[in-house]
This record gives sequence, structure tokens and C-alpha cells, in this order.
Amino acid sequence: MMVEPIRGTASPIVAAQDARPPIIEISALGKTFTLDSGPVVALESVDLTIRKGEFISFVGPSGCGKSTLLNMVAGLLSPSQGEATLNGARIDEPSRQVGFMFQTAVLLPWRTVEENVLMPAEIFGTRTQALREKARSVLEAVGLGEFLKAYPQQLSGGMQQRVSLARTLTYEPDVLLMDEPFGALDEFTREAMNLELMRITQAAGITVLFVTHNITEAVFMADRVVVMTSRPGKVSGVVDVDLPRPRDIGQMQEQRFTELMFKVRGILGHG
Amino acid sequence: MAKSAALQMGQQVGASFQNGKKQEDLRYRLYSLAIIIVILAVWEIAPRLGLVSPIILPSFTAVVGALISLMQQDFFLRHFSVTLTEIVAGFVLGTSIGLVLGIALAVWPAAKRIAYPFVVGFQAIPKIVFAPLFIAWFGFGMSSKVVMAVVISFFPVLINTMVGLESVPAEARKLMRSIKATPLQTFRKVSLPHALPVIFAGVKAALTFAVIGAIVGEFVGSSEGLGYLVELYKNQLRIDRVFAVIVILAAIGAGGYFLLEWLDRKLIFWRSDVEGK
Repeated sequence: MMVEPIRGTASPIVAAQDARPPIIEISALGKTFTLDSGPVVALESVDLTIRKGEFISFVGPSGCGKSTLLNMVAGLLSPSQGEATLNGARIDEPSRQVGFMFQTAVLLPWRTVEENVLMPAEIFGTRTQALREKARSVLEAVGLGEFLKAYPQQLSGGMQQRVSLARTLTYEPDVLLMDEPFGALDEFTREAMNLELMRITQAAGITVLFVTHNITEAVFMADRVVVMTSRPGKVSGVVDVDLPRPRDIGQMQEQRFTELMFKVRGILGHG
Repeated sequence: MAKSAALQMGQQVGASFQNGKKQEDLRYRLYSLAIIIVILAVWEIAPRLGLVSPIILPSFTAVVGALISLMQQDFFLRHFSVTLTEIVAGFVLGTSIGLVLGIALAVWPAAKRIAYPFVVGFQAIPKIVFAPLFIAWFGFGMSSKVVMAVVISFFPVLINTMVGLESVPAEARKLMRSIKATPLQTFRKVSLPHALPVIFAGVKAALTFAVIGAIVGEFVGSSEGLGYLVELYKNQLRIDRVFAVIVILAAIGAGGYFLLEWLDRKLIFWRSDVEGK
């Protein structure tokens, strides 16, 4: 499923002189929460243009506003200042073009794997035979072809997150927002999930905004790493990751990878 | 929950685990059976040896005899059906009211803020004191007992419905918002099924309370029903028959409970899945 790779797979040049059209434009975006103790700036004036098919990691300590930023792009939270646009249109409510994945799989235990994947279609009113077949092929692609009729609680944590990914991919979003999606998984499972996520989203040309607090993961996955610092939450720097794709674990041994990681560390340290 | 094990491995581990569990279950059942036998033996022997007066504690076999003879009386069925009707009507009405109010308070924050203090205050009252009042208001017939059963049985359903609906994980709500689900869709597809196990626990408690409500109502003022029979036989010092009625009431309570338990397992199949591991 999902062929049509967006770029030559071995292209070493990424992001910087990217000719892909922008899909998300964030300008002067900020969020201030009003608490009893007074206003708290969660996120200060962010400017960022994200191109179609780009994989962007957001990395930073807790309280740096990365989740706040993601929620505003998702249309779940309205900005206090500035705006974010999706395909030129201002984001002020959730959209079908945008899929959201959480740290937990959020599966309904009374529904089978297949029924969970079809749940959004019931909400959209697009549950058809064609979609059922689509769901099956997506589940096949994430390696759960044999578990259509299983219940979530019969699956491991990694498999549950695969179901969650399949649920999002089935309605074919242009943008995938991920808030530490594999943070609850063990190291080995997380690595496998990361590779699979890259393979699938690259093949389908999906734009990914990936929030994590793991620097290695952030660099390994991304075309660009947006480094954020806290109090107040803001973007302190953007690091272009010029490692060739498709990525493999071996690249973590390369000197360039280490340099990029320390570049990110450097920005975090100065925040 | 088998979060770390793959399905197949989970099944294998589950199988050997289940074997050990079955043996353990059997052992505990034997213990329970032994305790019952000891209690029945003491119950049978104590009055016969004159340790207690048979008027105060008739022997087990005497109670069984009283039970059989009572059930053969013409009037028995009438009293039985009166009480059963009161219990069922009180339970159904109480559960429905609890469910509706619980949903209203959970989905409508303003209603909760206004009404919740009253709900808590009402719960603090020992509601049995209303029984004489209800007799005065609704008469000696069944309606006063039904009202009594409703008043004490709706509360656990209300509280559990509210708590169950409010315990929907924030991420599940967020997921539904991210796919633009309407509040009604979120309620039907996520909140209500999520709350169902907790609601059902409240419903089971409501049944027990409905039985208490109906019997207390009958104690306070009635001319028929099993509670009335208990009062009558106590006054006649026919304690064997008092025990016989108690056995019947226990059977009603247990029967209803097992019916609900069965329904629970059918309806909330995913919970037993989790508990099985």
C-alpha cells in the first residue's frame, strides 16, 4: 500500500534547500495560560514553515511548550497570539487532514483491532466496504494482519501503538502529529516502531511533527530538529539533519550523527 | 493486562497459569463448603441438645420443614408476589432514575455544581426514617414500599454513573476531539461503554438496597408481603417460619444478584478478559 515516494530515497540533501511546497506555516504563534497565580507564558512567539512530506522533531525539556505547540497545530487549543495555517487556511478547529497520536494507544477495549481502526470512519460517516479493505491493508502494513479480530488487551504495548498508528493512517491524513508516541515502550520496541514509522510516512509523503524528549531519537528521525527551551517555552534553534534516507541504525555510529546530536545539546544548554 | 507479552506467548503462559488457578479455586471452594457444613451442624445440634431454646433458634431441619409447609400454603404466593413486585419495581425505577440523574450531572457541569451538595446531603440522611412518612403519604399498599425501595436504591447508581463517566481518560477525549466527534458521539462510543463496568457495580448494589427498601417498608406498615409475614410470625413466636421467610428473601436477593452478574459478564465481556490475566 501507499507507494509514491516523495523523493529519491538516497538523496543526501534535505530541508535546507528544499523545493517542496509549504503545508504548515506558523507565525508569531504564542500561548499564555491564565492561572489563579497570574498569567503563565507556555509558548513564546514561534515562527516556522513546514514543508509537505517533511519530518520535524520537536525536542526539549518538560515545560518547553512542545505539546502546547502541537495542540495548537491540531486545532485543539486556540493560540493567544499569532496563528498557524494548514494549506493556507487558518487552523481554528481540528481537521480530518491532521492525525493525532498520543503516548498511549487510546484503544477501546470493547472493540476488536479492526473495529478500533474503523472508529474514526464512523465519526466521519465514511465507513464503507472500501474503507474496511483500506483498514485491513493498513493493518497488514503495520504487521497486524493476523490480529484483526483480537482485542487490544490481548496485544503487547508495541502492538497496541501499531493499531493506533493504523487507525490514524486509515483516514489518510496529510499531517501526523505525534506527542511522544512511543515514550511508554521499551527501547527495542521503540526503535523498531521508529523505523517503521519513518518507512510508512516517507512512502506515503505524510508530514510528521514528532514531539520527544529523546535527543537521539529526535535527530535520527527528522529532516529538521526544532530545539525548544523552557520558562518561557520557546524555539531556541533549528538543526538541519543532513543524513541520507532511508535511515538505518548504523547511521548512529557516524560522526555526522554525533555532531548533530551535540549541536542540539549545545542549543539546549544555552537555553 | 498482558502489556509486554505477544499474543501467542500470552496464551501459553495463560494456559499453565489457569491450571494452577483452577486447583486453587477448587481448594477454596472446599474450604467454603466445610464452613457451611460446620455451621449447619452446629445449628442442628445446639437446639437438640438444649443449648438454646428451640423457640429462639429452631433447628436447621425444623426450618426446612417450616419452609416446605409455608410454600404449600395458599396465601404464600400472594405475599411472595407482592414483595417481588415491590422489589422489581423499586429496583427498575431506582436504577433508571439514578442513571438519568448520573448522566445529567456528569455531562452538565452547571447541574453538578448546583445539585451535587443536595445529593450528598440527601445521602447523609439515613433514609429508613422516611418509611413512616411514605406510609402516611402513599398508604399501606405497594406504592409506599416501591417509593422506599426507589429512594434508597437510586443513589449508588447515580454516584457510579457519574464517577464512571467522569473517569474517561483525557487522551480518549482528546482523540475524539481531534477527529471532530460531536459530544453525543463521544458519549455513545467512548464515555458510556467506558463507564459501564462502574455503572454495573452500582446497579448490583441497587438491587440489594431495593430488597431492603421493600422489606423495611413492609415492616413499618403493611397487610401483605414477605416483610409482613416476618412481623406476623415473630409476633406469633413461630420463629421457624420467620427463618423460612428469611431463606426465601435471601433466595430472591441471591437470584437477582446472579442474574445481574450473568448479565454483567455478557455485557461487559472485555472486563473479564482483563481480569483473566
